[in-house]
Amino acid sequence: MFQTVLQSLNLGFLKALQIFGLTLLGGIPLGFLIAFGSMSRWKLLRFPVKTIVWIVRGTPLMLQLLIIYYGPGILLGNNIWGGSTGGRFTAAVVTFIFNYACYFSEIFRGGIQGVPRGQREAGQVLGLTNTQIFFKVTLMQVIKRIVPPIGNEIITLVKDTSLVRVISVYEIIWNGEKFIKSAGIIWPLFFTGLYYLLFSGLLTLLLGWIEKKLDYFKV
Amino acid sequence: MALLEVKNLQKSFGELEVLKGISFSMEQGENLSIIGPSGGGKTTLLRCLNFLEIPTGGSIAVGGRTLFDASDAKTVSEREIRRNRLHFGLVFQNFNLFPQYTALENVALALKLQAKSEAGNGAARKEINARIDAQCAELLGRVGLGDKLDFYPHQLSGGQQQRVAIARALALRPEVLFFDEPTSALDPELTGEVLRVIRKLAEEKMTMVIVTHEMGFAEAVSDQVLFIDGGLIAEQGSPEQVFRNPQSERTRQFLGSYR
Repeated sequence: MFQTVLQSLNLGFLKALQIFGLTLLGGIPLGFLIAFGSMSRWKLLRFPVKTIVWIVRGTPLMLQLLIIYYGPGILLGNNIWGGSTGGRFTAAVVTFIFNYACYFSEIFRGGIQGVPRGQREAGQVLGLTNTQIFFKVTLMQVIKRIVPPIGNEIITLVKDTSLVRVISVYEIIWNGEKFIKSAGIIWPLFFTGLYYLLFSGLLTLLLGWIEKKLDYFKV
Repeated sequence: MALLEVKNLQKSFGELEVLKGISFSMEQGENLSIIGPSGGGKTTLLRCLNFLEIPTGGSIAVGGRTLFDASDAKTVSEREIRRNRLHFGLVFQNFNLFPQYTALENVALALKLQAKSEAGNGAARKEINARIDAQCAELLGRVGLGDKLDFYPHQLSGGQQQRVAIARALALRPEVLFFDEPTSALDPELTGEVLRVIRKLAEEKMTMVIVTHEMGFAEAVSDQVLFIDGGLIAEQGSPEQVFRNPQSERTRQFLGSYR
């Protein structure tokens, strides 16, 4: 029994890890794009971007999963995700990337705007281009500022992956819960908690290490 | 011929007219001090001369060549402005060193980026970078920080940071070096070490424009003094004239507050 449960939980946790990794991979660059959009000089870009961020941050991730997965099929009569397991997984990842990118974008925006104007101007009078100023002057200071709040989001993301079950992507809690019905045992659920704890503990250590690495300068 | 010639420079922010027409010129090796009350337009003038603000009127010429003319759209493109900035260097009141770089890296950054866009990434660049490092280390030596090359800004005192900032500005060999209240953020003890560096540059005939509240210093090192108030030059002349024998009532009143 123990072997069966562990195998099932491992499979579920692997799914959660995939969503976690892909969300970070897609969400961080997209978050930067959205951040620049929300700081744009052009109202025509800034306004829609800010509205989208408001909607995404203002509604539950669970609702977004349901709408993104079922919406196209019911509203457009065309289920762009396909009915398969893979399709549901893709829909989940897309939703997560978009949702987390919006949260990230606000953190990035705060980080970028928090760099004193004088830093940029010092780069300008040295004849640096805007791109050079961003990559050589601003970016490192932004990274240092955003590690703690991004760390928070990342830890939240670990646990948010459990939401994908609402569109039947079988992550770890689903896989643990099914033993209540099939075998009448609850300890697999406690076990799922252990997976989360261990993984978020690992991330906490990693984030602490990064923070320490960036300690060589002060902003 | 004048090295720097500023004609009728104007700057408005919306309705607010900060500079109402400033004209002055200076020769190579000259040292010009700008004094005056806060809000009078001194800092805006320096920012305009370094194109951190784009003037709304007037012209700026270096060595007889017009860098900027508000009535000529060609001279106000971003690319043109970036190139023209390199004629000038600016030392800020708050130093604005890059915190993630050591003193040496701060001084060398712009030169290395220039070398990169010119020489690419080949083996030659390593050699160029080594030469830049040596050159910048020497500059830091000249401002008395030869033993602080690998220190980060937060490990340095305010006076040391400002001296690194001066070295950073000098690294690009500007024709004119501008100082925006370089000692205003420093306590009196640290002010001295920065002023000594500026005085040394003056002796080496560096062309400099210094916005300052250090009247004694301005009187001692300047060849020319401008008193700016309300966006206009209220008094202009040799330090002797401006400090000992001011013509305008406003100047007398302002200088009186320092006695």
